[in-house]
Amino acid sequence: MTSLSSSAAAARATFLPSSCRARPAGGRRSQLLVTRAAASSPKLPGGRKLRVAVVGGGPAGGAAAEALAKGGVETVLIERKMDNCKPCGGAIPLCMVSEFDLPLDLVDRRVTKMKMISPSNVAVDIGRTLAPHEYIGMVRREVLDDFLRNRAQKAGAEVLNGLFLRYEAPKERNGTYTVHYNHYDSSNGKVGGEKRSFEVDAIVGADGANSRVAKDMGAGDYEYAIAFQERVKIPDDKMRYYEERAEMYVGDDVSPDFYGWVFPKCDHVAVGTGTVTHKADIKKFQAATRLRAKDKIEGGKIIRVEAHPIPEHPRPKRVSGRVTLVGDAAGYVTKCSGEGIYFAAKSGRMCAEAIVAGSANGTRLVDESDLRKYLAEFDRLYWPTYKVLDILQKVFYRSNAAREAFVEMCADDYVQRMTFDSYLYKRVVPGNPIEDIKLAVNTIGSLVRATALRREMGKLTL
Amino acid sequence: MAMATSTFSPHPLSLKPQLGPRPHRLHLAPFPRLRSHRRLAAAGEAPVEAPPKPAEADPSPAASNGSAAAAPAAAAPAAPVAAAKAEAVASPKFQDSRWVNGTWDLSRFGNTGGAVDWDAVIDAEARRRKWLEDSPEASSSEDAVVFDTSIIPWWAWIKRFHLPEAEKLNGRAAMVGFFMAYFVDSLTGVGLVDQMGNFFCKTLLFVAVAGVLLVRKNEDIDNLKKLIDESTFYDKQWQSTWQDDSPSGPKK
Repeated sequence: MTSLSSSAAAARATFLPSSCRARPAGGRRSQLLVTRAAASSPKLPGGRKLRVAVVGGGPAGGAAAEALAKGGVETVLIERKMDNCKPCGGAIPLCMVSEFDLPLDLVDRRVTKMKMISPSNVAVDIGRTLAPHEYIGMVRREVLDDFLRNRAQKAGAEVLNGLFLRYEAPKERNGTYTVHYNHYDSSNGKVGGEKRSFEVDAIVGADGANSRVAKDMGAGDYEYAIAFQERVKIPDDKMRYYEERAEMYVGDDVSPDFYGWVFPKCDHVAVGTGTVTHKADIKKFQAATRLRAKDKIEGGKIIRVEAHPIPEHPRPKRVSGRVTLVGDAAGYVTKCSGEGIYFAAKSGRMCAEAIVAGSANGTRLVDESDLRKYLAEFDRLYWPTYKVLDILQKVFYRSNAAREAFVEMCADDYVQRMTFDSYLYKRVVPGNPIEDIKLAVNTIGSLVRATALRREMGKLTL
Repeated sequence: MAMATSTFSPHPLSLKPQLGPRPHRLHLAPFPRLRSHRRLAAAGEAPVEAPPKPAEADPSPAASNGSAAAAPAAAAPAAPVAAAKAEAVASPKFQDSRWVNGTWDLSRFGNTGGAVDWDAVIDAEARRRKWLEDSPEASSSEDAVVFDTSIIPWWAWIKRFHLPEAEKLNGRAAMVGFFMAYFVDSLTGVGLVDQMGNFFCKTLLFVAVAGVLLVRKNEDIDNLKKLIDESTFYDKQWQSTWQDDSPSGPKK
């Protein structure tokens, strides 16, 4: 943190007139860091603080607003619906609990057994290698989002209930952005809200897959998967099975390019599936998922049906002037597992930290290059994770044969340990080279066998 | 390949005859009509024993192996099974007399020598997977599937899938290599023995072998191109943030 802000200070000093170069911060770095930020980040007039609007109050927005407020930046968070129950698997890795200081009662379920079920119904229990204190946390998004927002508010951020409409870019170079939004006031019970606007210096778009901020800044589109999910209240005796267990179904019947899931929630299970390529067939896939889980969720009552887009890759443009995107709005969802909560919260926080550092705790104006620092850092840290999961998806979700091989591979203890280490702690641990080679050979073996069987299946007519 | 399979499996399943090379060679035979009659007679046994199509909800595709005791008329046993299942799901469950407790009962795949007939296991598993693909089944923890394809020994796979292919590949590699050596010799005058010690020629050899392995059919070229595009597509999607015209972006 401190190192970040000092390097930012150095950067700022770069473009000061030569008379000021005597400052210690200028120094040797001035030749290296030629950034526009330095040229255009004057001190804010009248000692006022930097004002930042965070649009969207999900994990990304909540985390960003909290970090901004803590860093001395005047923060306004706009959220459309305070008790929004987003359709979401709700799985968070273990490291998120400690990194974001989440209280343990936020976690409804601790999943320690992950069952993966192949197209030919071979089931593999993943999680044998977990240590007793390790688990995948299942949260309800309405609870998690609310908690993060409240914490942001406590840290000093202003939380508004309203619908973001659009923003106006400044006319002059260091001018302010005007944010227009529909203010909802629960106290007077008026429907529709009233149009209001305010001025800010920077905007953080954390408003999810259908981001309006992204649209306004011309961030471009991304491909998205559609996720469909039914929350099913199942009888208690069946719920017992899902107490610590989540299920993943793979197969062409369930989804041609993703997986179907049964995730435990506080007192019910979420049954769902997703796809990018065959969105029109999502109902069929959902029926197939239900069929595959059949006995285990039989007699359940559907209490809620949800559908939501999941981004497949980052938007072409994630920053424009002093507007940037975080979380789903930017497109930070992994392939293969479809995980996004942790990356959303993390990107929100990293973006906020970059702004705090760039503005020297809210006393100076920021610029695009400060926001780009967050992008560079995020890409550097997480690009490998995204890439690996992309490769996994491409290799193993390709066909039923590959999925069979995938499930076979997951039966291996070494694979499970590596998967969980990288999932739970979000770091890529170098493995044991001998085990790696063994794994590669076994995986290729599995793939070859499954493909051979596949060829044989092609010749068959039933 | 089909030669290999029929040599090693004494009880050909019904799907085997169609793989056999014999039908295509009829015109080469001295007495095609005679041969074809004999062949039909031989094949005629199979349909009687052979598994009727599972589409008719037959409970025992294994009938062809002769191990299923209750395999007489196909339609008769099918009816009650279909009726019993009708209330649960429209499509019947996969059933096979050799499929016991979630795995293939290897003792029922024995051939005359007492050894397991792995070819038949591969056939049976391919059949089961095909069946499940057409009519997916509910997974169940009580009735878990424990069959693992890795119990089939490696040589069974090689014998069945690689050897027929290997003939073709070896043949191709030899022909390509021969002609490359020939052309190099005729163009440069470097003889075959000298070519062995030449770096350029070694590279050519490597290219020839890799090419023969990677491009087995004409479509493979397109597939390879697609694969390369696909593998860099995600990178491009991520890097697009850094490729806009903004001069200030700190490049990674």
